[in-house]
Amino acid sequence: MSWMRVEALRLARGEREILNIARLEIERADRVVLRGPNGAGKSTLLRILAGLLAPDCGRLTLDSRSGNWRRLRGALRKTTVYVHQRPYLFRGSVESNVGYALRWRRIGRDERRRRVEEAMEWAGLTAMRHRDARSLSGGEAQRLALARARVLRPALLLLDEPTANLDSEHRTSAARLLGRLAETGTTLVVATHDPSAPLPGLTKHWILREGRLHVSIPGDVHRRATRKTG
Amino acid sequence: MIHRALSVFLLSALIGLCVPAASAAAPLRLATTTSTQNSGLLDHLLPAFHQATGIEVHVIAVGTGRALRLGAAGDVDVVLVHAPDAEARFVASGDGTRRYPVMKNAFLLLGPPRDPAGLRQATDAADALRRIAAARAPFVSRGDDSGTHKKEKSLWQAAGIQPGGPWYVEAGQGMGKVLQMADELGAYTLTDRGTWLAYRDRIGLVPLVSGDPRLDNPYAIIPVNPRRHPHVNYPAAMAFVKWLRSPEGQGRIADYRLHGEQAFTPTAVRLAR
Amino acid sequence: MNGIGQAFGEALGLLLSGDRALWEIVGVSFSVSLRAILIATPPALVVAYLLAWHRFPGQRLLVSLFETLLALPAVVVGLTVYLLLSRRGPLGELGWLFTQPAMIIGQIILAFPILVAMAHAAFRALDPHALETARTLGAGALRGFATLSREAQFGLGAAVVAAFGRIIAEVGSSMMVGGNILHYTRNIPTAIALETSKGSFAQGIALGLVLLVLSLGLNLALGWFRTREAVTP
Repeated sequence: MSWMRVEALRLARGEREILNIARLEIERADRVVLRGPNGAGKSTLLRILAGLLAPDCGRLTLDSRSGNWRRLRGALRKTTVYVHQRPYLFRGSVESNVGYALRWRRIGRDERRRRVEEAMEWAGLTAMRHRDARSLSGGEAQRLALARARVLRPALLLLDEPTANLDSEHRTSAARLLGRLAETGTTLVVATHDPSAPLPGLTKHWILREGRLHVSIPGDVHRRATRKTG
Repeated sequence: MIHRALSVFLLSALIGLCVPAASAAAPLRLATTTSTQNSGLLDHLLPAFHQATGIEVHVIAVGTGRALRLGAAGDVDVVLVHAPDAEARFVASGDGTRRYPVMKNAFLLLGPPRDPAGLRQATDAADALRRIAAARAPFVSRGDDSGTHKKEKSLWQAAGIQPGGPWYVEAGQGMGKVLQMADELGAYTLTDRGTWLAYRDRIGLVPLVSGDPRLDNPYAIIPVNPRRHPHVNYPAAMAFVKWLRSPEGQGRIADYRLHGEQAFTPTAVRLAR
Repeated sequence: MNGIGQAFGEALGLLLSGDRALWEIVGVSFSVSLRAILIATPPALVVAYLLAWHRFPGQRLLVSLFETLLALPAVVVGLTVYLLLSRRGPLGELGWLFTQPAMIIGQIILAFPILVAMAHAAFRALDPHALETARTLGAGALRGFATLSREAQFGLGAAVVAAFGRIIAEVGSSMMVGGNILHYTRNIPTAIALETSKGSFAQGIALGLVLLVLSLGLNLALGWFRTREAVTP
């Protein structure tokens, strides 16, 4: 039995069908790459999995609980964090952004501070903790968004084009962070249209084309990807 | 912290919203005419009344017509007005308890010193209005259903004229404003003597017709009927009536001087002679 | 007739000598308008937020309703509140006509559409991903509202300042429902109207100067909010 399963998921905007997915499964500690051309509905799918966007219909199972999307929306939001392609950073310092999600949680002050420190350290943000979050570069903003998600210890992290706006140097450092996230047991789904985007330890490969999802195992994918680029 | 400060603010604001209605030791609401306020008479009387009785008076200065309607609706406790016919109807309909005469002054017809319509030769007030109409000389009317306006309408009726046309300006304003307008326009107008005294130094208009018995201007005070409006502050209203008609109140009315002249003549029966 | 120069001189004298009657009137204005704005702001922000960030039936109608109410003359508001609060009106039992609460109600009604329209624009100007970010990080409905209000703080501040500027200067509603009672409901605009009708221009000008300085201050505040909004998009 899969940890998360989605069946008969459909979403249309007027006449246009955006998603029509018969079946989708995620296991704990999976590292999934979701590829597809621009506008294929990758972001839409991630938003649905994050509990942020309602599909027209679909049946979900999460941790042996099942029902329609509306019933599981709360559970989805508790389980996942979705990180935008260009993360939205709140008004204030780097540190206050990292601590945002803990601010109203029933966690002791020391524990809260410890988690924020640890996340900033992890993302290499400690030195810039007092900087205005809105003054960060694209790569720093991406790291801040990851740190901000990490303090919540989400079971599933959904990343939308995490490397699309970064230069190659920041891309490798972002990839390194993702790899370390995965090592802590966080399940990852990374959407990208960049065939060379690295995700160490890939376990599944989804391709979204015209609203349909095609799943393949990594070895198979690897061969196809090299054929395309080569 | 900001949230706490905000909620404290809000709470005090809401409390502030409720308090004045509940705690302000039932002030007396007096609807009166702009003439008593603009002439400065009330500023002369009310502090003394407050000192004598401890009752605070909230003055709402409007035209006589609106003052009587406020009384009929029960929105005020007492009215001090000057329109005998309308006052009689107000009492007859049961909205007011009884009409108590307080004081009087007189109306005057004012106009520019060069007097284009020749009012100085008029035999009485009705004749004066006929001359204004004949000369189509500008005339500013209150046009606000006030006591002065009611008086003006009855004078036109006595003159047998239905005023209208570009020379007849209906201002829809208080007495002071109308005096200023008439002054600016070089027009004739009807005013009570008290307001004119208060404005005399500031306007160029001069009195042209006075002394006609039709130009008498009696003021009366009428408490709003507590049987019709149980919430009205009837005791305070009666205290005010008694004080105004007492030797002290009547004396203060007689004392009130505007530019050295007596503005109102007390008329309460008990003081008569 | 006083020359304008003389009236102006007297006005400055009144202001500088700390004339008690004058400053009492200023106090009434502030007390009434501050209470009105404090009561009107929280619900107006909630309405603006819902209009900006949530879809529900009748939404477009509601937006154009508030835009229409923006143009509502103060005297119409005054008349409506008057009819409601008169002893013969549906809320006559309260006995609030010709009291400060009546003025506050009128000013709340005047401030509300400005607050909603400007706060709506401020919320709409935010990054469309702001709310999703708050939600995915675990913010519920209330926390989402609080987060976005904080993000739009300068735009919302500008809305409050603009609404305050309108109600502290409005005369129609305050005159009608407050009754211009000395020491109680006589505020700056109704006092100016009365003093002008009495022909004593000095106090009118003095109060006008207070309003002028106030609106200069409010406009500087608005400008500050706008530049803050511009440099931190």
